[in-house]
Amino acid sequence: MDDLAFDAPRIQERPLVLDELLVPARDDCGALAIFAGTVRNHHDGKPVTHLIYTAHVRLADKMIRAIEQEIGMRHGVPLCRVVHRIGRLAIGEVAIYAVVRAPHRAEAFAALRAAVDAVKHRVPIWKEEFYADGTSAFVTGCCIAEPEAAAHGDAHHSHSH
Amino acid sequence: MQIAVHCYGATRLHTGSDTLMLSLPEPATVADALAALASRSEAFAALLKQCAVAIGDELVRRTHPLKPGDELALLPPVAGG
Repeated sequence: MDDLAFDAPRIQERPLVLDELLVPARDDCGALAIFAGTVRNHHDGKPVTHLIYTAHVRLADKMIRAIEQEIGMRHGVPLCRVVHRIGRLAIGEVAIYAVVRAPHRAEAFAALRAAVDAVKHRVPIWKEEFYADGTSAFVTGCCIAEPEAAAHGDAHHSHSH
Repeated sequence: MQIAVHCYGATRLHTGSDTLMLSLPEPATVADALAALASRSEAFAALLKQCAVAIGDELVRRTHPLKPGDELALLPPVAGG
């Protein structure tokens, strides 16, 4: 996959702009699949007021670009783009956009889901939730350490995030 | 040798700062740096077991040898999206 048309930072501090991920159009693709992850106002029954996302920006940017390439090749889709927001996000704001263009919808949906899952499970981004009662917590995530370092492998834990 | 450790995500709750300096006897590996950090508390030691480590924009293994002046990033379990 060769997507030289999109060189935006994959980790951005400003509000994400979907239109930037949609140009140029692709005449060879009949499917455009888009996922937006937005900030929810509750977690485990607790009211959430806002989030702060942080990232290892250099590594996260590099890993998202690698995931786009990997998903493109594995699913045979010509275009896969993901951007993730960091900083303070209000309820309803977009934290992640993923976009896939493909000739047909089946591979577009499959690639889109795989891209979002890969970014959530592998890219060094952290989510700190702030609750209505004034407390805060980092959301439990996926371990990306080498397998021998951690008893907790990312294939076996439950996903609430 | 002196190295710097950058604390990401929840690791900074255990260190109280974004960056700390660590002195290690030479030679030293990433595992030695983590062992030195783990002595700060049991809770931090448990979290360190789940941390990946990066130098620059590369993930490195526990066996990776350290050089003076290296800057390690502690990457606890991730939760983007």
